[in-house]
Amino acid sequence: MSEPAETANQIDTKGVVVGLVGIYIAGISGIPYLAFLAGIGAIFATKMGADAVRRVCSYGIGTGVPSIGMLALGMGVIAAMFGLAIGKMYNAVFIGPIVGLVLALVIGFVVGSLTNKVIKLNIPVMERCLTEIAGAGVLVLTGFSVMVAGSMDFAVIVEKVITTGYIAPIFILGALGILHPFNANLGPDETQDRTLVHSYSCGAITMAIGGVCSIATIDPIAAILSIVIAAAIWYVNFMGFVRLVQRDAGAGYVGTGLLPPGAM
Amino acid sequence: MIDIITMLATHWISIIGIVIGGICIAVGVHFVPVGGAPAAMAQATGIGTGTVQLAAGSGLTGLLAAGYMYKTLSAAGAVGISEVILICATGAVGAMIMMTTTMIVGNWVYIYGVGVPPASAKVEYDPITKNSQAPYVAPGTVGQGMPTVCFVSGTIGGLLGGLGGSLVYCMLMWVNGDPAISSIFAIGVFLVNAVLPSYNIQGTIEGFHDPKFKRVPKAIVACFIASLLCGIIAVMIPGTAMFGGI
Repeated sequence: MSEPAETANQIDTKGVVVGLVGIYIAGISGIPYLAFLAGIGAIFATKMGADAVRRVCSYGIGTGVPSIGMLALGMGVIAAMFGLAIGKMYNAVFIGPIVGLVLALVIGFVVGSLTNKVIKLNIPVMERCLTEIAGAGVLVLTGFSVMVAGSMDFAVIVEKVITTGYIAPIFILGALGILHPFNANLGPDETQDRTLVHSYSCGAITMAIGGVCSIATIDPIAAILSIVIAAAIWYVNFMGFVRLVQRDAGAGYVGTGLLPPGAM
Repeated sequence: MIDIITMLATHWISIIGIVIGGICIAVGVHFVPVGGAPAAMAQATGIGTGTVQLAAGSGLTGLLAAGYMYKTLSAAGAVGISEVILICATGAVGAMIMMTTTMIVGNWVYIYGVGVPPASAKVEYDPITKNSQAPYVAPGTVGQGMPTVCFVSGTIGGLLGGLGGSLVYCMLMWVNGDPAISSIFAIGVFLVNAVLPSYNIQGTIEGFHDPKFKRVPKAIVACFIASLLCGIIAVMIPGTAMFGGI
């Protein structure tokens, strides 16, 4: 593991701020064409989760990296839906994402403490990283749910995201964006920038799938806007990922001939 | 406006149900023979994947079975304690079917594909069949495939996992009456209670005969606290029907 270019605090700040701003603009404005902003916020939250997974899993947790990503979304789904429901119950829809985030941080800290104090896994960064991962989980779920529903209203999200079953791809792909980057890049030559660029491209794939789901739920033009933006983000970051893989390969690489020269 | 305190006071029995369900899931994870990556290469006893994938697979199968049973029973009348027992039994059978299918097909692959006899390196003799194990363990490995004791243990694990998952689902259905919200919440509670025990066993376990099985009490304590927290939050979420429908 090399020295990180971005510190954990910087990544967390960006993840939480961009995540919440994106969700709020998309949720409160009520303009369907701005729904993609919630997806962009969720991509930054995905990156925050992927960096926390990278730090905690470099200790070797013994169960494989995927377990921690599923834990993130398991805690995240409970906190996210509770936050949105509280907003609806008190007729203050705008408090939803904040309540969900705060609750997720609490659950993450409690589960992290249980892992270290009761189960005695003894990983020094466990509490902090599980807190961040739970926060990332709630922002990813809220972000993509708001993007698909085009609203922060709990009743609308239940009708358009949960009852329709679109929550399933959001759940699994959101978890993949958090767990897959480190799972794919781990090893002695893992570098932070490569892992994080990979997390952007995973998040963009989730956003594109969310865009496809929103064709039926909000507006075809808004959906196409989301899909095109997500595809652009994916293309830029995936090409960046390929470049970083070639950089980290060091001594050199030989194309296998699957793609014509110059395609990459 | 719906009062949070009233919801907690009304639904305390559901919180207890969710905690019991969470503990069932946590204990169930310890019964499932998980071998991880070494087992996928026939170098360790157990199913060749991670705890979470197995627990999630059996839990979701159980949830599907339980959901169908809930739909059938609730069409006939109100869902009481005896119906909950039937639903939990259906969920347990669904999860057991998933788990046994995975183990039997895995064993076919190990026996006829890889060409190794199922054997455990953790015990000298299989506690159920009393067959000697050591001569059949390939040198340099820690066993392979699913011997009888692991198969039986895995079936018990599926039973407990399915039972716990269905119980959580029933309790949430009592609270909000919305199958979609209840099932996604049951999955959330299920994953939290499946991952914490998987840290407890450090990723691999052979079943109830494995020395690691003695760590169960720690997982029960951890999952009790985690499920209590999840349960308190989950029962405060009303179904959309309480908002006057959509």
